[in-house]
Amino acid sequence: MPHASATTSSHLLKKDHLKGFLRKLAKEYRLVAPVRNRHNDVLFTVIDDLDAAEIELGEPPQNSLKQFFLPQQERLYSYTNTPDGYDFRPTQTTIPPTVYFGVHPCDLSAVLYMDVVFSRRQRDPFYLRRRQGSVLIGVNCNSPAPNCFCNATGSGPFLEMGSDLQLTDLGDRFLVEIGRAPGHALIEHWQGFFSPSGDKDSAARYQAFLEARGRFSRQVHVEQAIRQLEAGTVPEQVWEELSLRCQDCGGCAYLCPTCTCFTISDQQLDATSGQRLRSWDACTFGGFTAMTGGHNPVQAKTSAIRQRFLHKLRDDVRQNGRPSCVGCGRCVSVCFGGTDIVRFVERACQGSL
Amino acid sequence: MTNSINEIENAEVILVSGSNTTEAHPQVARRMLAAVDRGARLIVIDPRRTRLAECAHLHLPLKPGTDIPLLNAMMRVLLDEGLADDLFIEMRTENFLALRDMLNRLDLEETAALTGVPLPLIRQAAQLYGRARKAVICYCLGITQHVCGTENVQTIANLAMLAGQIEKEDTGVDPLRGQNNVQGACDMGALPNMLPSYQGVHNEDYREKFERAWGMRLPEATGLSLVEMTHGGPQGPIRGMYIMGENPMLSDPTLNKVEETLRGLDFLAVSDIFLTETAQLAQVVFPAACFAEKSGTFTNSERRVQMVRQATQPPGECRADSEIIMELSARLGYAMKYGSSGEVMEEIALLSPIYGGMYHDRLEQGWGLQWPCWDRNHPGTPFLHKYYFTRGRGHFMPAGHTAPGEAPDQEYPLLLMTGRIYHQYHTGTMTRKSERLTRECDHAVLQINPTDAKGLCLRQGEPVRLLSRRGEITLAASITDQVASGMVYTTFHFHEAPINQLTNDAFDSGSRCPEYKVCAVRVAKVAP
Repeated sequence: MPHASATTSSHLLKKDHLKGFLRKLAKEYRLVAPVRNRHNDVLFTVIDDLDAAEIELGEPPQNSLKQFFLPQQERLYSYTNTPDGYDFRPTQTTIPPTVYFGVHPCDLSAVLYMDVVFSRRQRDPFYLRRRQGSVLIGVNCNSPAPNCFCNATGSGPFLEMGSDLQLTDLGDRFLVEIGRAPGHALIEHWQGFFSPSGDKDSAARYQAFLEARGRFSRQVHVEQAIRQLEAGTVPEQVWEELSLRCQDCGGCAYLCPTCTCFTISDQQLDATSGQRLRSWDACTFGGFTAMTGGHNPVQAKTSAIRQRFLHKLRDDVRQNGRPSCVGCGRCVSVCFGGTDIVRFVERACQGSL
Repeated sequence: MTNSINEIENAEVILVSGSNTTEAHPQVARRMLAAVDRGARLIVIDPRRTRLAECAHLHLPLKPGTDIPLLNAMMRVLLDEGLADDLFIEMRTENFLALRDMLNRLDLEETAALTGVPLPLIRQAAQLYGRARKAVICYCLGITQHVCGTENVQTIANLAMLAGQIEKEDTGVDPLRGQNNVQGACDMGALPNMLPSYQGVHNEDYREKFERAWGMRLPEATGLSLVEMTHGGPQGPIRGMYIMGENPMLSDPTLNKVEETLRGLDFLAVSDIFLTETAQLAQVVFPAACFAEKSGTFTNSERRVQMVRQATQPPGECRADSEIIMELSARLGYAMKYGSSGEVMEEIALLSPIYGGMYHDRLEQGWGLQWPCWDRNHPGTPFLHKYYFTRGRGHFMPAGHTAPGEAPDQEYPLLLMTGRIYHQYHTGTMTRKSERLTRECDHAVLQINPTDAKGLCLRQGEPVRLLSRRGEITLAASITDQVASGMVYTTFHFHEAPINQLTNDAFDSGSRCPEYKVCAVRVAKVAP
């Protein structure tokens, strides 16, 4: 599939010129890229000093782009209580136009999914003001990490569309494919960095894709689990056993690039003013569904994780034709209890035997 | 812990006693569950059917306070079935005969009846533990917070030595510490009878070493334990106190006595990051910096010393504990001048042999070092007691059953156990400030068995009065078969329902640890 798109407009960017290109971009945009910090962690970071930042494209970053479009906590409004009544003011924030560089296919797919949630079904102004004016420069994934399974969710390791520019690492150079108009504009603007690509480069890209596809260490049968969920044949015991093991830390939802549930809370700051906050939430928390009187329609003991997997693998497939799990494997590495989505898929598929 | 936390994952058998690990130590529980996934057998000894107990292969629901008979019965089974490690006993231990004679005099049926656990279950647990090549015992406050806490721990040591389940990797005895740095506090001599690195204060040589370094005479007498200090009464021997990061007004047993004692002091100073119940009684409160606002080290359960790096400036007038102490000391006439926490660490390395090779430049690398770490070239010690115990040979300390300080009777027919829940931490000084954690759990509940609840005509969530000989609180009933009939369970996190007004101030004569785990109570409906 990926090699089929014989893009008419692909270019080459020599690795030696990458930094120069980024420096130009950084003059007109805020630049966000995966950076290895002094504790050896790779994180999407706002880059202030390009020369001090060690950009790491080979290892998937620990955070996703979610926090940039849907911050963990965001002030939506502030209010003051005046003699004439409440005065509500939406938070004014200017989000600088941002280039997100070095985004792996899983995280790109996740942004596209968030676009569906926050702009297609309902327009969320707070999301859109961060998302609009952003430029996504993706990089195809040559070496999937041990917990990766984007090949099973249809979101990697190579991506055809969705980004503004899509890079493929070909050793000493990047093959650069134009996905959308803003990407085209970037190349037009800084033509000097790019040279035309040839058939040889397309062939190398296909070769890289084949090799990447062979490097997955996990076989995760997401399709089969989706079929079972649709048919309702996942044994009750699987839900119960996994729920029992879930340790209720919320790590999966917080790290997940497509978990977009949030809660709204009002905080009083002093006698006359306060603020309305939006913060990440997780359906695995008991308090997510508990009612004021204490009753909880979701029985934590047997169903704590049911909503999560049904949403990702059944409901979103019904609505969008594809699961909202992008196979990034973050929940697999963070999960305390061994109740991550890969375990679920494995258990669900075993149940059918 | 004699092991490292990661080693638990490789054990073949994990025996957990008196620990609600999934709620209180989730990062340890995660290793236990990972071990189970790899085929390990999990045995849980707990009066309550905790979540971990539900994941276990064997759950031994003992009556609270009968740990010693249960472990003794397990040891007797090991002896009877030839599962004792004779070579280990011969080479590495002493006083075995005393233990053997005591065990051989046991009536197994009677002992099992005392614990309330069926004998076949005890036998199975003993066989699993005895036959494993690598087994760990993890225990927590369910073992130590009893009048016989010291004997409980010694009996666990007896079991491990009898089966030879110690001295190797992935094999040992692992007490789980309840706070990030409680191990470090003990290591640094925050104990009534020890100088740093467990150098006894009664030993003249040790004292002299510290006297030379500090240029001061040190007192020879053993100090007082926590409960002795906070239960001295209004005319107690202590007239002034300085309390750091501790909230005895909620965490100590028999709170009325604590309040009486603290109010009766001539002077009380408290440093904490928030104005706790205890700080409210103080004449002077020092606002302290929190963990993210200071640099230094913490020592965790597995004896690992790790760097804490300042991430942000302390707000307002807050200062790091070390700065507060140095300032105080200077005003009291002894100038302490440390330029950095690294300089303090150099003094620790100089005076505390087990920290002998720990310097900030080494700790900056990787994940820190585990003591004992004798010198700069020492790599640290992942597991203890290889080749020899600290005292030479392991000494068997046979112990018999000790009844709890207070047993249920006609007037107070229920047995109250106290513990912790996942979403709150200790007296809630920090966690109750979190909106999300509050949403998950914001009030105390009393777990009560359906049979007992029916007898009292209680509904789920109904507020009930809980009374003991020492006090009374009101809290919501949670009807669950996690607790057996005759027992109730609650937590000490909530100042609205301060359970330690009810708990007994009986304590272990060795460790002076209060018996939080057992007292007699009565449940009554709130009058309409």
